[in-house]
Parts: sequence; structure tokens; C-alpha cells
Amino acid sequence: MNKTTILVVEDDTPVRNLMTTTLKTHDYKYLTAKDGASAIMEASSYNPDIILLDLGLPDMDGIDVIKKIRTWSNSPIIVISARSEDSDKIEALDCGADDYLTKPFSVEELLARLRVTQRRLNFIQTQVLSTSSVFINGKLKIDYAAGCAYLDDTELHLTPIEFKLLSLLSKNVGKVLTHKFITENIWGSSWDNDVGSLRVFMATLRKKIEKSPDSPQYIQTHVGVGYRMIKVE
Amino acid sequence: MSRQNPDVLLKAIHDENENSARGHLKIFFGYAAGVGKTYAMLQAAHTAKEQGIDVVLGYIEPHERPQTKALVSGLEQIPCKKIKHSNIELSELDLDAVLERKPQLVLVDEFAHTDAPGMRHTKRYQDIKELLAAGIDVYTTVNVQHIESLNDIVAAITGVTVRERIPDAAFDKADQVEFVDIEPSELLDRLKSGNVYKETQADRAMFNFFTLDNLIALREIALRRCADRINIMSENVRIKNNSDFHTDEHILVCLSSSPSNAKIIRTAARMANAFKGILTALYVETPGFAAVSDEDKKRLRQSIHLAEQLGAKIETVYGDDVPYQIAEFARLSGVSKIVIGRSASIKKHFFNKPTLTEKLITHAPNMDIHIIPDSNDIVKYTKMNFKKNKDFSLSLRDLMKSIGILLAATLIGYSFSWLGFKEANIVTVYIMAVLVIAVITTRRLYSMVSSVVSVLVFNFFFTVPKFTFMAYDDGYPVTFLIMLTVAFVTSSFAIKLKNHAKQAAHAAFRTKILFDTNQLIQKASGTNEIITATANQLIKLLGKNIVIYCCENNKLGNPHIFRADGEASEDELTTDNEKATAQWVMKNNKHAGATTDTLSGAKCMYFAIRVNRNVYGVVGIDMNDSVLDSFENSVLLSILGECALAMESEQNAKEKEAAAILAKNEQLRANLLRAISHDLRTPLTSIMGNADNLLSNGASFDEETKHLIYKDIYDDSMWLINLVENLLSVTKLEDGQMKLNLSLELMDEIITEALHHINNKGGTHKIKTINSDEIALVNVDARLIIQVVINLVDNAIKYTPEGSEIVIKTKVTGKNVEVSVADNGYGIPDESKSKVFDMFFSGANSIADSRRSIGIGLSLCKSIVTAHGGKIFVSDNKPQGAVFTFTLPTKEVNLNE
Repeated sequence: MNKTTILVVEDDTPVRNLMTTTLKTHDYKYLTAKDGASAIMEASSYNPDIILLDLGLPDMDGIDVIKKIRTWSNSPIIVISARSEDSDKIEALDCGADDYLTKPFSVEELLARLRVTQRRLNFIQTQVLSTSSVFINGKLKIDYAAGCAYLDDTELHLTPIEFKLLSLLSKNVGKVLTHKFITENIWGSSWDNDVGSLRVFMATLRKKIEKSPDSPQYIQTHVGVGYRMIKVE
Repeated sequence: MSRQNPDVLLKAIHDENENSARGHLKIFFGYAAGVGKTYAMLQAAHTAKEQGIDVVLGYIEPHERPQTKALVSGLEQIPCKKIKHSNIELSELDLDAVLERKPQLVLVDEFAHTDAPGMRHTKRYQDIKELLAAGIDVYTTVNVQHIESLNDIVAAITGVTVRERIPDAAFDKADQVEFVDIEPSELLDRLKSGNVYKETQADRAMFNFFTLDNLIALREIALRRCADRINIMSENVRIKNNSDFHTDEHILVCLSSSPSNAKIIRTAARMANAFKGILTALYVETPGFAAVSDEDKKRLRQSIHLAEQLGAKIETVYGDDVPYQIAEFARLSGVSKIVIGRSASIKKHFFNKPTLTEKLITHAPNMDIHIIPDSNDIVKYTKMNFKKNKDFSLSLRDLMKSIGILLAATLIGYSFSWLGFKEANIVTVYIMAVLVIAVITTRRLYSMVSSVVSVLVFNFFFTVPKFTFMAYDDGYPVTFLIMLTVAFVTSSFAIKLKNHAKQAAHAAFRTKILFDTNQLIQKASGTNEIITATANQLIKLLGKNIVIYCCENNKLGNPHIFRADGEASEDELTTDNEKATAQWVMKNNKHAGATTDTLSGAKCMYFAIRVNRNVYGVVGIDMNDSVLDSFENSVLLSILGECALAMESEQNAKEKEAAAILAKNEQLRANLLRAISHDLRTPLTSIMGNADNLLSNGASFDEETKHLIYKDIYDDSMWLINLVENLLSVTKLEDGQMKLNLSLELMDEIITEALHHINNKGGTHKIKTINSDEIALVNVDARLIIQVVINLVDNAIKYTPEGSEIVIKTKVTGKNVEVSVADNGYGIPDESKSKVFDMFFSGANSIADSRRSIGIGLSLCKSIVTAHGGKIFVSDNKPQGAVFTFTLPTKEVNLNE
């Protein structure tokens, strides 16, 4: 039984139908909104668990909708955009969105994103309850207090920066973190050089925690946007 | 009716348009102060205001006439500019304030006023010209005595020379002239009652100027001038309407530094006016010009300026035979009448030669020659005294040379006489000495004195009785005389020859500069080279510092400074004041700055580099308080003209090139669109048809058929998506260049991301990636490089049979990241290898579905990789298949630990 409520904000009827049909067949509860104003209304009155938000709305910019909703709600927002420029996605993510989908997207992709977000929600809930200083994600274990990380109960030899990176990603598990967000949190700045360093450290970190770098299990790359740690069941 | 030449019609339309954009000038014209011009003007202004026209007062002469004062109130007044000049505070028209305010109509009193030093222009009529050019209508006032060509006539009648004058053209070009008339006797009454000047001034003004006779005469002149103006206008209309109008009269006036020259020029101008002929002012520059005193030069410049103002064309010729030059010029230019002054010749002819006039008559027997008497007692110039002519000034070196040579001659003569040679030989030696002196010294004086001295020395040393100045032999006086004459004549010839040579060299130098300029500018490519060539030529010609500004879209570019001596600092030549002057020149398309009447406070004199109305640049010449002579000026203008033409053609070439690029891009896009529209329709037809089938007969299909249809729809959509992605990348192609959105990326990540987008749903092909051991970091536009990988892999899938293996390998080689996509399909024939990256090329492969290959994929890959500074190429795979490889420069990163 799937109790998750999803608000679908999309002005184009065929695409909205596609999404609602998909959600219906997978037993999600859903609400719909055709424009920004009603999206904000729906979000405030029903407090949905996840919001699927199209950026190109007839009455206002999707970015503004995110900003408005973020003033009172922490519900995950998955941005759906036909804009191909990365800068739009980055802006949306920096404004508080959790994930993004680019049109055209496949149904599989949409469902996968929803699952990731759901897991994140579940994780946050359990995390809040336990307030433990140990993070467990599949075979990966991070002990924040001790400053150690383990894979398959073997301690990983991470450099301080690598550990910082891993911690940052794990604390925001399921959420896409932009390069800017990461570099600002690790180095306090966001110069070109920091982005370059980030790439290198991410590559070395991955080599240490991923079994096959071609199909990463824990850290997902969003080229031109950022990185995300996946919650593994 | 004859058909009109379209060019003429176009020009007429153009002029008309220009007229409508320009402001209208109305002059209130009077014959004396006090006739009520200002009053009439103010009344007209009130009428205009009542009609809803935006009227302001720019400048009204502060006479204390109560009626006038009453009219001033009620009109908006733009505050005057206060200028402090030698303890007096002067009020001037605030030109910039008026331009800023931009009313429809502005009133500016006193057309002929001379602006205070430090103002933009030296004369108010220039201010008004600028106002008109800005599209503001102007009302102004002027009296008859201020009109240039009438100046001397008025002076002759009234005995008062007016220094504030306006060129006739300024008056004739006014759109409307209103003659403000009053009976002279009434004017006198008005003066007496103090309406015009205050008491003390009134007495003086009346004493000098306002006698009844004078006023009547002035009134007559003024009325006639008005009538003349109307004649000129109707004449112009006739010319415009292409009536058979032409005149053969070409009047030549000779310019000189004589103070009476102005009168002659004015007379010539009036004649030209009366005959409706052309007026040319000719100056004959003689070799002695360099020695002319500054005062004379200044007077000559004034004459040239006057002639210009009276509409004459200024010409300069070179030669020392003035009458011959004048006659030749007249003959060659088809002059019909020559105007000269009677005494103009006295100055240069000391030895009772025939006067200039007489000689001119001999040289040009068929020409009308008008001689203007020179008794100019009105113009109170001091009669030109012969300043110590430099021809006769001494130089110690030349003196020593002369003495030395004479001494040598004497010694040789002595040895000759000791050897018993005849006296004739000695005489020859002396004549030779004089000849040598004439050649090597710079002044005529030396050879003349030497001639005399040599005779005396000969007499002293060699004639009996020796060592006295006496001679017994009766033949000696003849010998002396002949000796003196021969010495004199040879020395004059030698000097003349020398001067000619000098002059020829001078002329040749200038001609050469012009010729060189032409050549250099033609060779120059690009604006910068043209400017440099021009500046270098100007420096060669003038020996002064040059500043050149380029203009683009009516904006002044950065100054380019070319220094002649390397002394002047750059800052001095590019102060805000200098730039403002250059700006003014560009805007107004006229020269200005030092030595001119406009913005004369600037250090440089500025000329526009222009062709007709288009200004391509501004040239500043650091004048250093010197003045350009007329030849320099004309050569300068030719060089600038040459430069402007070159810049124009440069600009035209640029525009053409831009248009060609645009056309090429358009062509490319058009081709693309044509190809796409075909290739979009095919998959869309399939999707639509399949969906239609499902909608209408979905129930009747069995599961297998349905699945097939679903798969087709899915595949076609995927194909469309890929096409759209490629098209989006193409839109980044602008002006043949990619607009890259660069960021640092890991090549491995890019490939992983690209593989997500590959349509290999059925798993028909085996795709393998081999990452490099080193970290392959590149600075790229990630989306575009992903597209490259997608296209290459898609291509490999498309052109190889099912079950083929595709290997994507990343390698770091030196400073490059090399990515290769290898397949083991059929490979690419050698003859196609060079074409695969061409747009719209698609391999004639049996496997490939021809409708699915518009062939932009690989060409796009090439554009993208090239834009990133990399290379893309295709080679054969061993044992079979093709390898597409592209390289990208790596990016080093300093790690922030």
C-alpha cells in the first residue's frame, strides 16, 4: 500500500495525463495543479509528500513557486523542465529543489526518481528518530563522530577532504547537490579551481567506494549540475 | 519637358529632407541700430508663442529701452553664460543650455556678434548654425553694416569700420529675412528721445554714425541687399528647376598680404555675384614666401579667410614669376576676368621693372583685367613698411665664406699677375668667385656686395696705379662696368637657378608624399594600418604630433597617438577638452580646434576623415601655436580624403564580409531545415499512424502485434529526441562559432552520462567502456561533449549489424585526452573517410535506414570538437570495423587539500 501523496504541477494536459496515469498505475495518491498559483494553494492546503513541478508555468516562473513553497514546507520538490540549459536546473536546485527531470523523460525515469525521493523521506524520518551519529547506507557505514567510513565493515582510507565530501553527500542523501553547494560547503568558495578539485576528489573517492565505476552504486553524477548520494536499500 | 536626371531629383529630395530636419532661420534686418529689430523680433516671438510654439530667449542685448524690456517679460529666458574677460564680465549665449533645452524656437540677438574668447565659436553666427543644425528655429537680428561684402562700402559712407561681420552666405541662406524699416528722420527723433542708447552713448553714436545722409544711404544699401538676396533666391530656384542657366564668367582674384587686398577681394566677390560667376582666389607662393614677416603672413591668412567666406575657391600655385603664374592659371582654368589691385605690385619690384599689371597684360592679352584703386584711406592700417627683409639680413658664416672666397680669388689673381697672365684672366677669376658666393651663400646680399667688392679689389690690387682706387687707363671704367654687370648677372642667374632647384625639390617632396600616401594606404589592410600610414605621412609632411580617433556608430574610439618628436606627453594630447573638440568635429563634420574659429582653446587642430556625410575618424594635429600654410593645408586635405576613401572601402568590405557570413549561415540553416523537415515527417508519420491504429482497432490486434506497434512508437520517439538534441546543439552555432559554456568535467563521467542516453534497448550491441588510469579532466561544454559521444556511439550502433561490439576507450596522452569509439562492423571505405564529417553526408550502407540519416551528427561532432580545440578523425579497426577518435586538451588542476 503506497500512502505517498504527490502534487503534479504541469500546464500541458497530455504530459499531466501521462504523469497521473503513471502514478495511478503505481498506486500513488496524487493532486494536480495547472499553474503556479493553484500549485501554491494545493501545496499549502494538502501538504503533499512530494511535489513534481514544471518550471514553465503560464502565470509565474517555477523558480518563484519553489521559493514560495520553501518558506513553509520542506517537502521534496522534483523539478521537471524542458529547458535544456544546466543553469536553470542549477538555479532550481540552489533555490531548494531536491531533484530534476528533463523533458522528454521516460516513465521509468520518473518512477526511479520518485523511489529515490521516497527512500530519502523514509531515511530522514528514521534518522530524526534515532539521532545516531552513524550513517548506514547499504554496505557503506559512516561514523561521523569517529571520522571513519567503512565499506563491507572494512575501514576506508579516506583523506580529510574525501571524508568531508562523503559526509556532506550522506547528510543530504537522495538530494542532488550542485557543484556550487558542495564547493561552498567544503572550501567555503566556489572558484573554478575548487570545481576542478571537486572532480578529482570525487573520482578518487569513487574509486574507493564504488565496485564498478561505470555503474556507480552510491554516488550519482549529474553532468554539468552536481552529485547525489543514492539511498541503497 | 525634358526628363530630369534621377540623381538630381534624389539630391533635391535629400536636400529637402535635410531642410525639414534643420531649423529655420529668420533674420530681422535693419539699416541701423534703433530701427526696432529687437522689438520686431520679440513681437514675432509673442505671436509664435500664442500659436503654441515653444519659444525661449537665448540672448537679448540688454538695451534699456522700456518698450523692448516690456516685451522680454513673459517669455522664458535661458540664463546667459557669464564669462570673465580682463576684468569685464561678459554675457554670452549659453549654447549648450539651449541645445539641452531644445525649444522649437530660440531668439538670439545680434547675428554678427563676436563671442568672448573661450567660447566654443568665435562668432555668434556659428553658434546659430549649430542651433539650426540641431533642428531649432532661430530668430536673430542684424544690421546692414555687418554684412561682409558691404563692409567697405558702408565704411566709405559712414567713416566707421565695423569689425563684427558676417559672411554673405550666412545672410543669403536664411530662410526668411524681414526688413525692419523706419524713416531715417523718425529714427533720428527716436534717438534723440533716448529710446536707443542712453544719453552719453546717444551723443557719440549720433556724432559718428547717425547723420540723416548716412542713414538714407544705409537704408538704400540695405534695401538693395534685400532685393539682391531675393534675386539670388529666384536664381537658385531657376537652377534647381533645371532652366537653361549657366554662366561662363569665372572671376579670379589674386590674394596677397597687402592690407588693401580685402577690398579687392570684396569687389571681386560682388562682381562674381553680379555676373553670377564663379570666384577663385589665387595665391602665388614665391620662393621668398618663407622670408615674409609674420605680420604679412597673418594678413595673408586673413585675406584667404575672407575669400573663403565670400564663397571663393582658394588655389595656390608656386613660382617666382607672379604675373606669369597668374596668367597661366587663368588660361588653364578658363578664367574670364582677373581682379587685381593697382599697387599690389610695388612691393616686390625694386628695379623699375614693369608693374605686375603691365606684365599681366602682356602675359594674358585676351583677359579682362579689372584694376581696383588702392587708395584705402578708410581702413586705418599702417602702411606696410618694409620690415627688415630677411633677404638682406646678415649671417656671420656667409660673411666669412664670402670674404674667404674673395681672398682666395685675390690670391689666385696675385699669382696670375705674378705669372704675367693678362688682367682678363684675373677678371674671370673674380667673376667665378662671385658665382661661387652666389651658390654657397643663402642670401642675395652677399653676391651683390661681392660683385661690387670684387670690382673694387680688382681695381685696388691689379690696375695701375696699384693699391689705389684709381685707374689710369681709359679702358678700365668699361672693364669695371662689364665686370660688375657680368658678376651681377651671373650671380642673379645662379641664385635663381638655386631657388628653382629648391622649389622643385620642395614641390617634388610634397608630390611624393601624396603619391606615397596613395600607395601606402592602398597597401594597408585594416583600419589600424590605414591610420598608421596616414599618420606617418602627415608627420612627414607637417612634422607635428598627430592624434587619430576612429569613429564607429557615431562614437569616438580610443585615440591613437603618433609622435613626431617624442616630447609631447600623451596626456596633453588626449585631455577631456581635446576629446570634446574631436567629438564636436565628428558630430558637426567640420574642422575645429587650435587656429580655427571653433573651440580654439584646444591644443590640436581637428579635421574629420570623411566621405560626404560619413565621418570615419578625426585627426588631430598638434599645432604648437604654428599655422598651416595653404599648400600644407591642401595636401593635408588630400591625404585625409585618401584616408577616408580607404576607410570607406574598408568598411564596405567589412560589411560585405559580414553579409557573406550571414548569407552562409542562412544557407546552412536553410539546408538544415529542409533536411530536417523531411526527416521529422517520417518518424512522426510512423508514430501517428501506429497510435491511430491502436486507437481505432486496438482491440482487434493480438498481443504480439500490439507489442510491435508499441516498440515502433517508442523507437521513433527516441529517434526524434536524439534529433532534437542535435538540433539544439546546432543552435549554439553562431557566426560559424560555438558558444561554449565551459566547465571542468571528468571524461569518465561524461561517457557514463552519454551512455544513459543511448538507445540500445534491446541490448542488440555489446557496449564496453575502458577508463583511463589517470584522471582525465577537461574544460568543456559538458552537454556538447556528451552529444559527441552519443552521436559516435549511436552511429556505431546504426551502422553495424546486431551483436557487434562497441568499445569506448579513454586515454590520457601527454596534454590530450583521447576518446575512441571502436566497432567491429563493416568499416568505412577509404574514399568516404574524408567526407564522413561533411554536413548531410550519410554512408550508403545497406544496414543503415536511409531515411534516418540526415548526416548532421558527425559534422556536428566535428564542429563541437574543433570548437574545443581538439581533433576528430576516423581510422580502421583491426581486424575489421571503424574507429572514431577525438581528442580534447587536458586541464591541469591544483588540488585544494
